[in-house]
Amino acid sequence: MEGNVKEKRPRFCVNDHVDILMEILKRLDGRSLCVSACVCRLWCTIARNDSLWEHLCFRHASPPPSSGVRPVIVALGGYKRLYMVCVRPVLSRLGRLRIAGDSDRDRRVWTRDGVQLSLSLFCVDYYERLGRLGGGGDASGGSSLMFLCKPVNV
Amino acid sequence: MKRDHQETIGNKAESSSSSMDTGKGKSWFEDDQDAGGGMDELLAVLGYKIKSSDMADVAQKLEQLEMVLGSEDGISHLASDTVHYNPSDLSGWVQSMLSEFNNLPSTDFDSSILLSSNRDSLLGQPSAITSLDFSRNSQSKVFTDDSEYDLRAIPGVAAFPQQEFDRSNDRKRMKLTPVGSDIAPAPAVNSLQSPTASSTSTSSPPAMAVSGTLSGPTRPVVLMDSQETGVRLVHTLLACAKETQEENLELADALVKRIGLLAASQTGAMRKVATYFAEALARRIYKISPQDYRLDSSCLDTLEMHFYETCPYLKFAHFTANQAILEAFADASRVHVIDFGLKQGMQWPALMQALALRPGGPPAFRLTGIGPPQPDNTDALQQMLGLLPPEVEAVAVNSVFELHRLLARPGGIDKVLGSIKAMRPKIVTVVEQEANHNSPVFLDRFTEALHYYSSLFDSLEGSGMIPRSQDLVMSELYLGRHICNVVACEGADRVERHEALAQWRTRLDSAGFDPVHLGSNAFKQASMLLALFAGGDGYRVEENNGCLMLGWHTRPLIATSAWRLAAGDSQQ
Repeated sequence: MEGNVKEKRPRFCVNDHVDILMEILKRLDGRSLCVSACVCRLWCTIARNDSLWEHLCFRHASPPPSSGVRPVIVALGGYKRLYMVCVRPVLSRLGRLRIAGDSDRDRRVWTRDGVQLSLSLFCVDYYERLGRLGGGGDASGGSSLMFLCKPVNV
Repeated sequence: MKRDHQETIGNKAESSSSSMDTGKGKSWFEDDQDAGGGMDELLAVLGYKIKSSDMADVAQKLEQLEMVLGSEDGISHLASDTVHYNPSDLSGWVQSMLSEFNNLPSTDFDSSILLSSNRDSLLGQPSAITSLDFSRNSQSKVFTDDSEYDLRAIPGVAAFPQQEFDRSNDRKRMKLTPVGSDIAPAPAVNSLQSPTASSTSTSSPPAMAVSGTLSGPTRPVVLMDSQETGVRLVHTLLACAKETQEENLELADALVKRIGLLAASQTGAMRKVATYFAEALARRIYKISPQDYRLDSSCLDTLEMHFYETCPYLKFAHFTANQAILEAFADASRVHVIDFGLKQGMQWPALMQALALRPGGPPAFRLTGIGPPQPDNTDALQQMLGLLPPEVEAVAVNSVFELHRLLARPGGIDKVLGSIKAMRPKIVTVVEQEANHNSPVFLDRFTEALHYYSSLFDSLEGSGMIPRSQDLVMSELYLGRHICNVVACEGADRVERHEALAQWRTRLDSAGFDPVHLGSNAFKQASMLLALFAGGDGYRVEENNGCLMLGWHTRPLIATSAWRLAAGDSQQ
C-alpha cells in the first residue's frame, strides 16, 4: 500500500503484543481457535498454548473445576487434547439433546457432572492409548471413545 | 387356460421386473435366451429353484392337480393333511402328491406324464418332502419319507394351527412380497381350493398358491411376508427348544434346519439372533460342546473390549459402580478395591482420576484383581484375607458380570459371599444382567434368553454405527458366545447363569448385606453418558429402589446395585 500515508503514530500490529493477542484468542470458540492457528507461525505457536484451551474447555463450567484438576489433565495429555477428544463432542451432543433440568439454561453450560464425565472419558482414553503404545500395534487412539467421534444421526 | 396362465406369469414377471428395476423390462417368455435357464428371481428369493422357462409347465401341471383336488370330495381333505416341508423340492412334492392319486379311482389324471416331465424341468433336491398323514382316510396308502418329520409337533398358530384343521376349504390369501424390499406387492394369491382360482387372471402363478395352500391352510413354509416369517421364526425357535428339551432330537434337528432357512429371509438383528440361537441349539442337539469356555478367556477379553467400545452397557456399569465406590470412600485415607474380574482393568482409571480430584485430596489406593475362575474360587479370597490390614483401609468389592458364574457350582456363591463379608467391605458393587437365564427348565431359559438377546442385538443395530464396523461384529460375537453358553452348556460349564435383580436382592439380603442407594449423581452421569451415544434415545436409565437399570426401550438389560454389611453385624 503505497501512497502518501503520513505515519503520525507507529502502526499497530497485534503481533507485537502477544498478551493482547492471547486475550483475544481466549475468547474464541474451538473452531475459530483452530483456524487462527493456521494464520501464521506466530499465531500457530500461540494457539498451541494450553492455557488457551483450558479456558476454552471450562469457561462455561459452573461451578468451575478446582485448580487441582490441572496437573491431572496435563498428565493425561493436556487441555487441547481434552477439548478435541472429549469436550467438543460431548458439548455438541449434549447441546443437541436437552438433558432434563438444563432446558432453561444456556445449553452450553457445563454442570459438574458433565465435567466429571468428560474427565472420566479422557482418562479412559489415556489408558487405552497407554495400552496401545505398550503392546498393541493399533495406531488409532482411544477407540473406546470412538462413539464420540462418530457422527450422530440426528 | 394354459395361455391364461402364461400370460399371468408373464405379467407377474414384468411387473416385478420393472418394479425391481432389474432392467429386464421384457417378459422372460419373449426372451428364450434369458440366462439360459436362469431361476425365476422372485421364487429364488423364497427358496424355489424353478427355471423361469419351466414356469409354464409347472403351472399347467399344477392346474391339473387343482382340478383333481377341487373336484373330488373324497380327496380334498388330503390338502389339509399335507405337510409341505422342503420348499425347494417342488418336483418331489408334486410327485408325492400325484403318487397318491394313482391309487385312487375315478381320476383321469395322467400322473406318469407329470412325473417324467417334472424330473426334467424342475430342479429339486433329492430329499423328498412330505409325510402325508392318512390316519383319517380309511383307504390310505401312507407315503412316508423317513427323513422327514411330522411338523404337527410345532406348537403355535404359525406352524400348525389346530383350529384351522377343519376348514378344508379355507382360502388363504397371501401377499406376494419379496423379502425386505420396497417393491409393490404382486397381487394376492388365492387358494387353489377356491372355485374362483381358475378365473383369477391377475393372480400369480399357481406355483405360489400351491406352496401356500396345498399344504393346507395350516403350514405354508415359505412366506412371502418377512414380518410373518419373523413370527414363524420365533415359533420355530421355541418349538425346536421344546423338542430339544423333550429329547426328540430328530425332530429338533429338522426344526433347526428350518430355522436356518427362515433366518435367511430376515435382516438385521432378528437374523443374527436367530442364527446364534440356531447354532447353539444345534450344538445342544448334537452334543457338541463349545470350546472350553474357560480356556478362551483371553479371546473373550478381546471380544469384550470391542463390546465395551460399541455400546454403553459396560461403560454404564463401570461409571455407576465407580460413583458408588467414590461416595463410599468419601472420607477414607487408604482405599483398597477388589475386583472380581479385572480383565483389562477398564473400570479403574476413571475411579483413580476421580479419587485424585476429590476435595479432600487423593487417598492411598490399592487395587486387587481376581482373575479367571479357579477350580476353587475362594482360594484367592482366603489369601487376601490374610493380607488385609484390619480396619485401616476402606475396602470396596466390585463385581461386574462375574457373580453369576459362581452359581454354576453348588455352594460357590455362598462361600464367596461369606469371604466377602469377612473382608468387611465398605461397599460391594454388583452389576448383573437383568434376566433370568438360570431356570432349571430349559425351555424357560431359552425363551428368556431369546427375548433378552433380541433386545440386546436390537440396541446394537440401533446404535447408529457406521454400518458393519469391525467392533460391531466383535460385539455380536461376544454376545453370541454368551448365547451359546446359556443354550448349549450344562452343569459346571454353563457359567452364564444370569439372574434378575430381584433374585440377587434376595440372595444378598439373606447373606447379610443391606442395600445402598445409588445417588442422583450416578443417575445424572449415567443419563449423560447415554445421551452421548448415537442411539441415545433408545437407551433408558431407570431407578429401581436405589438400583440403576439400563435398558433398551422398555426392556431393562443390566442392573447396578450397591451393598454394605448389614447393620446388625458386630464389628470385630
